Amino acid sequence: MLADWWQYDFLRYTLFSGILIGLICPVLGTFLIVRRLSMMADGLSHVTLSGVAAGMLLSKKVVIFNSVNPLFFGMLFSVLGSLFIERLRKVYRAYQDLAIPITLSAGLGLFTVLISVVDGFNADLYAYLFGKIVTVTEEDLYALIGVAVAVLITVLLIYKELFTVSFDEEFARVSGVSHRWINLWFTVLVALTIAASMRIVGVLLISALITLPVAASLQLARSFRQAILFAILFAEVAVLSGLYLAYWLDWASGGTIVLAAVLILLAVLATKRIKVMVAR
Amino acid sequence: MSESKAGGEPIVRLSSVTFQYDGKSVLEQIDFTLHKGDFCGIVGPNGSGKSTLLKLILGLLVPKQGTVELFGKPLSKFREWSKIGYVAQQAAHGTGGFPATVREVVLSGLTGKVGLFRWFTKEHKRHAEEVITRVGLGEKIDAHIGTLSGGQRQRVFIARALVAQPELLILDEPTVGVDQESIEQFYRLLRTLKDESGLTMMIVSHDVGVMSQWVNKVACLQQRLHFHGSSDEFARAEEQILKRMYGDSIRLLTHHH
Repeated sequence: MLADWWQYDFLRYTLFSGILIGLICPVLGTFLIVRRLSMMADGLSHVTLSGVAAGMLLSKKVVIFNSVNPLFFGMLFSVLGSLFIERLRKVYRAYQDLAIPITLSAGLGLFTVLISVVDGFNADLYAYLFGKIVTVTEEDLYALIGVAVAVLITVLLIYKELFTVSFDEEFARVSGVSHRWINLWFTVLVALTIAASMRIVGVLLISALITLPVAASLQLARSFRQAILFAILFAEVAVLSGLYLAYWLDWASGGTIVLAAVLILLAVLATKRIKVMVAR
Repeated sequence: MSESKAGGEPIVRLSSVTFQYDGKSVLEQIDFTLHKGDFCGIVGPNGSGKSTLLKLILGLLVPKQGTVELFGKPLSKFREWSKIGYVAQQAAHGTGGFPATVREVVLSGLTGKVGLFRWFTKEHKRHAEEVITRVGLGEKIDAHIGTLSGGQRQRVFIARALVAQPELLILDEPTVGVDQESIEQFYRLLRTLKDESGLTMMIVSHDVGVMSQWVNKVACLQQRLHFHGSSDEFARAEEQILKRMYGDSIRLLTHHH
């Protein structure tokens, strides 16, 4: 059973992709959640979805797009969506969280129209929605590696700026931290991560992997650094156990990973509750 | 007379500054100078434009008319933001749930000064530890900020503002939500900082009684600057000034109804 993971290419790709996603999603998620932007992933994932549908449509109707992976259209749409959110946040200064539902609705509206043009729902689309192991290709993995490298280098290089801006944006502005560029680049990275993670957990469940491990980690962490490290740990456990179970039981990989993350969160909450009760 | 006694170079200078928000006039024709070594208290009723004045000085807002100069440079050309430390109004509240230690928050005060693509060095970290000890939080250095009291958290934010070794410290209602004993401690700390490192300070507080005992300059604000002088002069004319300011606002209210 375990040997399968090395024998078959697609399983190896899945495994590597899973490990990378389990690393970058919770890292970005920690920054998003402390900034009260956890819904950002939801908004962008729906925009990504419309990009994938557009890619599928184009590859059917236009010859030169025949062999282009719809994933890249998903990435393009996601990045454009993230820039759109940043703009909207400036227009609605007093209602900044309005930017996300607007973007989400636009993405979902475009998606439903596009799939109706592509002759409805097909198996490919199902994989993008919910994640499916057997669909991970070498190209998907390389795209994900590229995004993961960009995320990790960014976090290593501008960790202190990201922390300062996340903790207190006004203070960051006053102390001369270039918050505008940092916000913009961070949002672009979130967009790319969502698009690149789709094949594994599926668009609808990606935001779960960005938020659930962090939700569990916030219960235990005493410092920001710890919050990130615990979140990575929980995400990796969820991804690896979820993938293994999904392959073994032939379940949808995305759903299994998310359920594993939910179980971890519940276990953390229960442990904390018991500790409090014992302390009394 | 007080101007010549202060003697120091001007750190902040506002010349006929006017600011409007949603078409309503918040500040009108403000001429205000803060000299090196001043410890200036800003007094005024709610909505008198005190916080707006600070935000104009910090470059967070841009005046409709008039000019703001910092350290002799017009605001648009000023880049040395690490010369200014800022402790915001709600700083003592709201951030309790954020997963961060005292050490992490205070170090973040150095981010702008250290600059992009550079990590904090051992030197920076040691300096942050020193500042934390100085504000009396040495034992809490690795505590989650959510576990601190209001007064302790306030000192974290002061340490964060001080860690970049600013020449000007700006505090907006720093004693709101802080218990009486901590307030006393807090002003004593500010006085020590001023005496030791010649820090120039500006503080907004609605608690005129306590504040005016510690500052050496007072500015009374109510859309316009009603008084700007030494705290001794203020003490002598306090009743008259306050009656004029608060009295005005009461009359305005009755006019409306």
